[in-house]
Amino acid sequence: MKATTPLLALLVAALLVLSQSLYTVDQKQYAIKFQLGEFIDAKTEAGLYLKVPLLQNVKFYDKRILLLETSDPDRVTTSEKTPLKADFIAYWRITDVRKYYQSVTGDEETARRRLAQTIRANLAEEINKRTLHEAISTEREKIMTTTRQKADADAKSIGVEVVDVRLRRVELPDEVLAQVYQRMESERKRVANELRSLGAAESEKIRADADRQREVILADAYKQAQKTKGEGDAKASATYASAYGQNPEFYSFYRSLEAYKTTFRSKGDVIVLDPSAEFFQYLKQPGGGPPASRSK
Amino acid sequence: MSLNDPQWGKRGNQNAGPPDLDEIWRNVNRRMNELFGRKREPQEGDGGGRPGGGLPLGGAGMLVALIVVIWLASGFYIVDEGRRGVVTRFGKYTETTTPGPRWHLPFPIEAVEVVDFSQVKTVEIGYRNGNPRNKIAKESLFLTDDENIIDIQFAVQYNLKSAADYSFNARKPDDVVAQVAQTAMSEVAGHSQMDFALYEGRAQIATETEKLMQAMLDRYGTGIYVQKVTLQNALPPDQVAAAFDDAVKAKQDRERQKNEGQAYANDVVPRARGQASRLLQEADGYNASVTQRADGDASRFRQILVEYAKAPAVTRQRLYLDMMQSVLGNSSKVLIDQKAGNNLLYLPLDQLLKQSGAAVAADAARPVPPETAVTVDPSRTRELSRGREAGAGR
Repeated sequence: MKATTPLLALLVAALLVLSQSLYTVDQKQYAIKFQLGEFIDAKTEAGLYLKVPLLQNVKFYDKRILLLETSDPDRVTTSEKTPLKADFIAYWRITDVRKYYQSVTGDEETARRRLAQTIRANLAEEINKRTLHEAISTEREKIMTTTRQKADADAKSIGVEVVDVRLRRVELPDEVLAQVYQRMESERKRVANELRSLGAAESEKIRADADRQREVILADAYKQAQKTKGEGDAKASATYASAYGQNPEFYSFYRSLEAYKTTFRSKGDVIVLDPSAEFFQYLKQPGGGPPASRSK
Repeated sequence: MSLNDPQWGKRGNQNAGPPDLDEIWRNVNRRMNELFGRKREPQEGDGGGRPGGGLPLGGAGMLVALIVVIWLASGFYIVDEGRRGVVTRFGKYTETTTPGPRWHLPFPIEAVEVVDFSQVKTVEIGYRNGNPRNKIAKESLFLTDDENIIDIQFAVQYNLKSAADYSFNARKPDDVVAQVAQTAMSEVAGHSQMDFALYEGRAQIATETEKLMQAMLDRYGTGIYVQKVTLQNALPPDQVAAAFDDAVKAKQDRERQKNEGQAYANDVVPRARGQASRLLQEADGYNASVTQRADGDASRFRQILVEYAKAPAVTRQRLYLDMMQSVLGNSSKVLIDQKAGNNLLYLPLDQLLKQSGAAVAADAARPVPPETAVTVDPSRTRELSRGREAGAGR
């Protein structure tokens, strides 16, 4: 194999040269080719590319969407002077890698700082124009869009696109927070009281309604009952009248006797009598008059 | 080699290295055979003293073949179930491979990155380690539309819908999901009223967050699919929890009071209905009793009247005496002949009454005679007598 050795060496050398003169650009990357520090060209498409070994070198930059987070939220003020802690997150991407390299020397940190400054300033400005409620709710979208547009316009100069700016956390600073908590608490108290008295009122209403129903039912029944009784009374009266009307004089006599019987029925009734009464006529003298009834 | 890739030939001179090498090797082998065909014996080969003339070179060929085989074999990889292989050729995306044993052109031509695809990943916001009690207050407090603060802890479950997008479009896509989740929830909470978010709107908040997240993730081309946003907790902050609890209690108090009222109503109304039906029944009874009595009384009277008409004087006398007997038989009586001597008559009325009272008490111990049984209900007798009076009045 001695003869193959130089060939192998040749081969290895060839591979070495080849590996030095070829470079791949990943799907996730941009590449810039420099020749002794001078910009030659930028590759934005992934693939295999050639370069001159030793003379030229290549630097890679990220093509993907990158996150820009703020470490601590900024204090901003709304139009009604409420302090607010706004925390944003931005998504950005290198679009013009040459410009990017030239303006920030390809340093991601520098780019981030630059972007953060712009976004922060724009955000503060946008929030400053709006009330707290607008900033939280109604105009939130608008704040974010406007900030993004402004930041994007500015970022173009460093070859960067700001894909999106989002308000991540909108917080109230501690001193305002305490007030908010107090307000929330009192609001809840109001709600609780309202609910309780509402409950009492509803309960009372149900009770009152029940009472009303009771009265109505009873009165109704009373009416019905009286009517029935009256009908009975009337019918009875008619019956009595038709019967007693046949001989009023006898009725008077007969009824009086009944009444006497009913009146003197107890042993407790003491009757003081004069023996001269007609009833006792035979008690004194047996002769004459009607025949004596059973007497004591 | 690489025959199974139809695109291979189109790659041009840039990436023609390996086949050329092969070609070179073959050339090299042939030339070596030509050159050293006769002098092969003295030469030491790696074959280790093999007798065959072409063998040293054949050995080299085999070595090369072995290297090539190993090299080719390095292109084998396995994609597990639920994952996808993202294949790049010289850094450029070519295809996404599905689970199973797969082969790619070996290094440095092609490379593969295997990523979780359908396997569900979870991001926890506002808490950690699956326990909502591990609160991270910094993440979980949100301002609502009515400028209240709500404590929301939620989890996002996601997988991929495009492995290639996931691999290429964003740096740290999983971090992006967490960030997007926070901003989306912050926005949704900002558009919601506190009470809505706390109670009836929880499901809606989850769905809205889900939609918003998906829209944002699509915009960034992350290739991520948000399966579900689940709210673990939506609570008032700890500082005001007591007041909120009390409000909830108040709600229950209200229900309780209502129920109590209802209970009262349920007690009173049926009772009244009962009373009403009693009144009606009584009235019916009274009606029947009065008319029947009237009929009875009238019938009796008529019959007596008939007899009376036949012999008025005797009947009258008899009736009178009957009455007197009944009256005097039942009561205490004192006979006083006023004409005889009414100068000094002392009547110990009180003693008489006492005496008769004792007699009455003794009477009461005995069973009541049937005639008196009718007069048990005082009200009825009252009514009866009234009715009779009315009848008599006519």
